[in-house]
Amino acid sequence: MHDFMAILPLVATGAGAILVMLAAAFESFKKEGISILGIGLFAFAFFVQLTVESGAPITPYGSVFNGMLVTSTFTKGAGLIILACGFFSAIASQTYFTQNEGFVLEYYCMMLFAACGMLLMTMAAELITVFIALEIMSLAIYTLIASDRRSVLRSEAVLKYLMLGAFAGAFFVMGSVFIYAGAKSTKFADIGQVVAETGFLTNPALVGGSLLILVAFLFKAAAFPFHAWVVDVYDGAPVPVTGFMATAVKTAVFAVFANFLVINGQLQEGWVNYLFYISVLTMFVGNLIAIGQNSLKRMLAASGIVHTGYLIIALVAVNSEGFTGSTIIFYLAAYAASTLGIFAALSYLGGEGEKRNSFEDFNGLAKVRPYSAACIAIFLLSMAGIPPTAGFMGKFYIIAGAFQGGYISLGVLGIFSSILSMWYYLRLIIAMYFREPEEDFEVAEMTLAPLGTFVLALSVFAISFIPVVI
Amino acid sequence: MFEHLISIMIFVPIIAGLVTFVLPLSREAARIVGLAVSVVVVLLGLKLFLSFSGASGSFEFVEYAPINESLGIAYSLGVDGISILVLSAAALLFPMVYLLFQTKAKGYYANLLIVQGAMIGAVAATDMVLFYVFWEVMLLPVFFMIGLYGGPNRLPATIKITIYTIAGSLLMLASIIYLGISYHAQSGEWSFAMTNFSEMSLTGSTATLAFVGFMIAFAIKIPLFPFHTWLPDAYTEAPTATTFVLSAVMAKIGVYGVIRFVVPVFDESFARYALILACSGVIGMMYCGIAALAQKDFKRMLAFSSASHMGIIALGIFCMNIQALTGTLYQIVAHATSTGVLFLLLGIIEERTESRNIDDFGGLAAKAPVFAFFFAVAMLASVGLPGTSGFIGEFLIILGAVKFNPIIAVFAGTTLIIGVCYMLWLFQRVFFEKPSSKLADFSDLSAIEILTILPIVILIVVMGIYPQPFIAKIEPSAERQMAVIQKVQQIADNRIEPLKPGQELKTGDL
Repeated sequence: MHDFMAILPLVATGAGAILVMLAAAFESFKKEGISILGIGLFAFAFFVQLTVESGAPITPYGSVFNGMLVTSTFTKGAGLIILACGFFSAIASQTYFTQNEGFVLEYYCMMLFAACGMLLMTMAAELITVFIALEIMSLAIYTLIASDRRSVLRSEAVLKYLMLGAFAGAFFVMGSVFIYAGAKSTKFADIGQVVAETGFLTNPALVGGSLLILVAFLFKAAAFPFHAWVVDVYDGAPVPVTGFMATAVKTAVFAVFANFLVINGQLQEGWVNYLFYISVLTMFVGNLIAIGQNSLKRMLAASGIVHTGYLIIALVAVNSEGFTGSTIIFYLAAYAASTLGIFAALSYLGGEGEKRNSFEDFNGLAKVRPYSAACIAIFLLSMAGIPPTAGFMGKFYIIAGAFQGGYISLGVLGIFSSILSMWYYLRLIIAMYFREPEEDFEVAEMTLAPLGTFVLALSVFAISFIPVVI
Repeated sequence: MFEHLISIMIFVPIIAGLVTFVLPLSREAARIVGLAVSVVVVLLGLKLFLSFSGASGSFEFVEYAPINESLGIAYSLGVDGISILVLSAAALLFPMVYLLFQTKAKGYYANLLIVQGAMIGAVAATDMVLFYVFWEVMLLPVFFMIGLYGGPNRLPATIKITIYTIAGSLLMLASIIYLGISYHAQSGEWSFAMTNFSEMSLTGSTATLAFVGFMIAFAIKIPLFPFHTWLPDAYTEAPTATTFVLSAVMAKIGVYGVIRFVVPVFDESFARYALILACSGVIGMMYCGIAALAQKDFKRMLAFSSASHMGIIALGIFCMNIQALTGTLYQIVAHATSTGVLFLLLGIIEERTESRNIDDFGGLAAKAPVFAFFFAVAMLASVGLPGTSGFIGEFLIILGAVKFNPIIAVFAGTTLIIGVCYMLWLFQRVFFEKPSSKLADFSDLSAIEILTILPIVILIVVMGIYPQPFIAKIEPSAERQMAVIQKVQQIADNRIEPLKPGQELKTGDL
């Protein structure tokens, strides 16, 4: 019974997706009705996830479904973030499609399926399950990006993502096969045991296999050197989908990544040097890309790369003993709230056909729509890590974790990277506040996305008070 | 009510500021809200100052509430002799701004309210993370005040001050986290309380780096040579009320930070680098003093003059003895009042004549005798004439400097003469000489303006003639601090070995 309880949120999202699909078959269901249904289902799944009992802080060998899944406060937290991302993205989508073309009734169905795959991914403790989850998630996301199949921009984005994503998936399968050859099991716990007994480097199949899996994870998390797709794909996707990808996908990938590393303590030790350099390069390359951008979506995509770098810092400092993952969850929550907030704001401020997208397009926003501008400024300050926002506490915990683990230089480089990132966050604030407006920012009549933006702006402060153990 | 006195002083302005932002008030209503709140803060500040005994030298009005118990981060506030005068300066000077500058926008008054609350919070915080939060919150209103309401070249000035300060603060954040981790490693408990940190002993290269991180953050805020380059632009382009906030209070919080955080925690590193720091203070004094001589813009000249005086205030800390330290604490308020009044009077001239070019003025003394009198008192206090507040502080600092290093004292004393030169020359050009046509219809201060500035002018004189009540409040704490300083001095003279090696952490693989 406990096994079934653990996957209740999965069932809720999966069944919800099918429900939306069935509803979409009836002509009488209109855009508004299906939007409300999608939003409601996300809210319902969120409360299901909230009420599900979760085990004590992560127990490497404690298991559900015979070791296929693992549940802990960590997976529960990640699940909550994913469902909240889905909820707010759905809200943003409702508003977005009142002034943009390309809505299909199956849109919310795909969103729910993607969330279902992500939830499975956070709990997966076995390689084949991870692969299945990865594919459920990716296929749904591909569909979401190209939901408007007549648009050249969307098609280009999905093609790039699909080709490279297929490669990443293939790498993952190949890596799983190697690991199975080396460890005679696909369960994280068994692999960890084999590694602990025979050592990591003595077994070439394990070394090669784990390297391929690392590549797949880094690709999905948008880390250096597999970050190049991010900017184009995020730019080509509809705004709410970009927000959903930037937050929920990242949460799912980091959850499984952390689970994999924590259960295989030795593996983490073997990788720690690579992860160290990867995180440094991810932060600085992401910053350099972001500084050069003129489009907000592209800038936010690149800044997402930078935040991946910070999250890898947390992985470098992960400690198998007494791991709670609360630092990672906290950072993901803080990052998700501010990123989703900006994308929700862009969904309605972008106007018809996303016509406002560059820094210049938002000149003087504060004089015309002061509350929207204030919310965006709060999100940007949170991403930049300025107190008293959640982004500051997130960075604080990550850097404290790095210092605690003895990686002082990594923490300091993270700080330098934050200084660099002030450049593009401040640039938008300066554009919004210090320049003169050239237009009156007229947007279609709507209620949901501004409301969601406002709630997210409040939660950016509220998240700061979530207690965290390093 | 009074057990939460400091919290009220912090959050009443901040909340009032946020409410002013959100509500659609007129500018006049916003100004009245600001004035009312600042008067309340003044009254509370007076209450705090008068009921603060200072006899024990320890923290009074302590407030404590844990924020994150697992990491030992707490909302903890307190006042002692080191912070009382800075706190009073932050609390008492603000009503003048609302009374003298009546034509600003609503958002401007809201920002002023927030910055006041944040500054009081930064001074009263005894937990380092809390201090950091207020320290950053303090910057945001300044960013908006300069960027939105500043002069024609405000944008480059805003970006300069913001990048400078944020870079400094983030380095300090790294250092704060390092201290927390070291405390955890040494005592096994998590805490970010200032008092706990000062009991730690830190040696080794990582500790020195953390010291540098702190020092750079505060050196930027003070500003200390060579981190002063943001100052002339920011002070000149900022609206005068903001310049007043920056020079009269915010710069002092940088000095306060060094005394409160750097000296007790990094005693050994501080002793080792005190001479270099003192030199940088003196170089900054001379450099900014000479630069002030050459300025044609009234405001830019006062900006350089203020920077030059901050050099001597900072020098007082680096001399590491009780005279200089007391002098610095005293001079913090003396400089806040005198420079504050100078900038405010300048703001009045600027508003009435729409010019800041010194050559445009002349013969003001005949036109506006009261104005000239106030300006003269503030100016004389600024250059340290005996009988004004500026004399006591500067005298004590120079006295301490002689004990520390006579050569430095000679240079510092010489620079004070440069200060007299540019100030008196300025006074001559603006207030005497042949009357300028620009000033043809310049009227003297109105009754409200006189009543606004008069208390501060009286304070300048009282502090110069009868310093005892103020010194009595700060002395016990300064003596406690001196216990630290003596240890520092001994380390500097190599008379005792540092206690035990500090927590060295393995650095990363870079």
